[in-house]
Amino acid sequence: MKNRRLKVLAASIIILTAMVLLVVSGIRKTSVRHYSPAGLIANAETADAQNIQVDGVISEGSSTWDAANFKLTFAVREREGTETINVIYEDNLKPDNFNDGGSVYVEGRYDAEKNSVVATKVQTKCASKYEGVDSPKDMESYE
Amino acid sequence: MLMEKIVNSIQQVTAELGQAAIWLSVLSAIWGIVALSIGLRRRKPDYLQSGRNALIATFILISIATSTLIFGFVTDDFSLRYVVKVSSAEQPLLYKITALWGKMSGSLLFWLWVLTFCGGIVVWQNRKANDTLADYALIPIAVVELFFIMLVTGLLEGIHNPLERLPNGLAAPDGEGMNPLLQTPSMAFHPPTLYVGWISLTVPFAFAVGSLASGRISSEWILRSRRWTLFSWIVLTVGITLGGHWAYQELGWGGYWAWDPVENVSFLPWLLATAFLHSVMIQEKRNMLKIWNILLITLSFQFTILGTYITRSGIIDSVHAFAKTDISWYFLGFILVSTAGVICLVVYRWQRLKSANRLESLLSRESAFVLNNWLLVGLTLIILWGTLWPIISEAIQKEKTAVPEAFFNQVVIIPGLLLLFLTGAGPIISWRKITPNNFRRMFMSPIFIGLIAAVISWPILAFSANTAVVLSDEAAVPLDEAFVQVSNDPQVGTETTGNIFANMWNFLTFGEKTIPIYSLLCIFASVFVLVAIFNEFYRGARLRAKRQTTTFLKGLWQLIQRNKRRYGGYIIHIGIVIVYIGIMGSKGYFQLKSDTLQLGDSMTVGNYRFTLLDTYQEKHGNYDRLGLIFDVEKDGKHVTTMKPARHYYYTTGQGDDNTIESAIHSIGMNDLYIALGDIPPNINNGGVVNVQIYHNPLIKLVWIGIAAMVIGGFVAIAEKQEYKPRPSEA
Repeated sequence: MKNRRLKVLAASIIILTAMVLLVVSGIRKTSVRHYSPAGLIANAETADAQNIQVDGVISEGSSTWDAANFKLTFAVREREGTETINVIYEDNLKPDNFNDGGSVYVEGRYDAEKNSVVATKVQTKCASKYEGVDSPKDMESYE
Repeated sequence: MLMEKIVNSIQQVTAELGQAAIWLSVLSAIWGIVALSIGLRRRKPDYLQSGRNALIATFILISIATSTLIFGFVTDDFSLRYVVKVSSAEQPLLYKITALWGKMSGSLLFWLWVLTFCGGIVVWQNRKANDTLADYALIPIAVVELFFIMLVTGLLEGIHNPLERLPNGLAAPDGEGMNPLLQTPSMAFHPPTLYVGWISLTVPFAFAVGSLASGRISSEWILRSRRWTLFSWIVLTVGITLGGHWAYQELGWGGYWAWDPVENVSFLPWLLATAFLHSVMIQEKRNMLKIWNILLITLSFQFTILGTYITRSGIIDSVHAFAKTDISWYFLGFILVSTAGVICLVVYRWQRLKSANRLESLLSRESAFVLNNWLLVGLTLIILWGTLWPIISEAIQKEKTAVPEAFFNQVVIIPGLLLLFLTGAGPIISWRKITPNNFRRMFMSPIFIGLIAAVISWPILAFSANTAVVLSDEAAVPLDEAFVQVSNDPQVGTETTGNIFANMWNFLTFGEKTIPIYSLLCIFASVFVLVAIFNEFYRGARLRAKRQTTTFLKGLWQLIQRNKRRYGGYIIHIGIVIVYIGIMGSKGYFQLKSDTLQLGDSMTVGNYRFTLLDTYQEKHGNYDRLGLIFDVEKDGKHVTTMKPARHYYYTTGQGDDNTIESAIHSIGMNDLYIALGDIPPNINNGGVVNVQIYHNPLIKLVWIGIAAMVIGGFVAIAEKQEYKPRPSEA
């Protein structure tokens, strides 16, 4: 009786430990620092040549699409600020919903000297479900 | 003209009528809770009946409110704030109606409406039984209804009443319109399907609470709500799939699942509901795991609330806003208070909840079920942890980090494969304790045939792995290791090959050698499961055919007829296997090539050669379709013509003015998939266009497998099980 409960306990502990290890090693191996543009500039030294995520809005008028070279360049701007990071995104299509002033999240390698990110992933706000909380500002145009 | 006048004058009052209905529903929900409580405590049938009627009344009132909002959409009532936000005059009628759940306050109303409908059904189902357990269950349902009613009243800061008018009697000339990306059928029905799946989980949760409150701690609540649980499981399966299918068709990145936070939260209740559907069998058969089952269904329910909150509040979109919004506190408060309530009830009933039996052996069906539950709940927690990691990391490390797709793929694969194995092992291992005889009879042939399949598929997998491309997991390793650019010659196009670590399905390295280890395990486990389940069907059908002296097929039919729950479950398991093979093929072995083309240019992906022949243009209701015509050849022979396009919308609304419309052509179980960049005006005069072409092997199996799961679900739900108290429980 005791022996059996011990076995069950041991098995549970093994599974639990394995799962925790899986998560810890997964996070260690894959996690990347996440910045806002201003945060990235402030931490330029630590982030240099590292894989990072940066998340902000598409700076108005900054994006150019070079079809001949299959290359998208644009700047991510701090949501409520002026700091920007340049982004180069090659050999990938411009995601849908890519609009001036729209939210964007970029994953890639940061180059501090050029203040630019060579992106492996550019994602606009998930079109389906996002919705900020209704803010009173929303309706100003009608009021 | 007259029609317009009539509509106008109706518009003057509809919103007010709807708002009044919402306010009245506050009273009816509260009365429902009070009357049922009094009725149950003092055993007064009049009060019980009145309480049940109150739930019906709430449903009618919310139906009125919802209809007035739909009326506002259909008649373009741009004096309504919410209509202005999500609709516009030229939006097609279907999308005017689906705009109902386009944003938060409307979705909350829709959610509430479905919930009150479920409440009404529970009342209706028990109209003759006059059963106290159902009356107990109605109270938590009414409480949840009340919570959502409070959210849509507009009383709470941060959430508007969906029927609110613009101030000062103003009306906007036109609405802002719905995002064009959402104007596709699968997106129109993906959110409501998910909602219905989530919401219907409230009913089994309510029965669990009702069982605790009433003190009738048997498996009665489980059997009484079994069909509800299965129903929401089926609907959730369909809802999640619609989302993936939409992403595959519309977003142009050739995939269907990217571990996006919003996808994750839709998946978590599904995982928990799956765990619950399994663990209840242990309670029914062996009278164990009673507390666990209650906690599991509570957790599932709370995850649906968390899901609505996360998808609707936008905290994921901007994780920084997490603590800032008021609505966080409403939802989190509700989750905490209701969970605390359930825990108090569990403690209160502790003595009656103790298990009658214990696990007898680690190798038994009971253990297989327990392991299944551990893995499913473990996966849930892992995925939740990864999804919330940005918030968690900020709190504990002072520095915000995030985990990319690669994290989920790496962490999920081992538990996922173990679960796949259990899909076959669970049904064939004996109860209580495995015996040598059981092992020989049931396990030998599946293991043996599974091993043979793995050995045979090894060279094929190894070959495919060499040509496959890895993009999805690139962030797993530093960039220059992740990508080996095979060529960057504009004439050839850029081809990307992956790092060995990047795609777990593909291969793992051992020194110099690379072995597609996870794919091999997947093949082994899949074949193992198929053989094991085939044996179950075959043995049962043959036995029945022999006994009844009838044909094998008739025997099979009777076998399923007699035990729909069990064999429906097996059909679901077969579906799961098919989905796994589909995921392995499409996630692990896809090929992708990006190139810049002019008219007349060709590019090659895998064995297929694509030649850009021509352009075309079509006019539609609110957009123009501009596209390219590709000729597809294999070994010099024409295969098909593909016509990818972009849609250019006239009014942009809140979204993009043009969207990718991929072309998909299926060959057997594999897909060819073309997505286009912007088409320049000078395309017919030497202009260039950016093209991405995918070869997605076995991807159709994903959809086919899910269809099988849904069919199995319907078979299982067809069985009506009456609760018969066992002598020991009475």
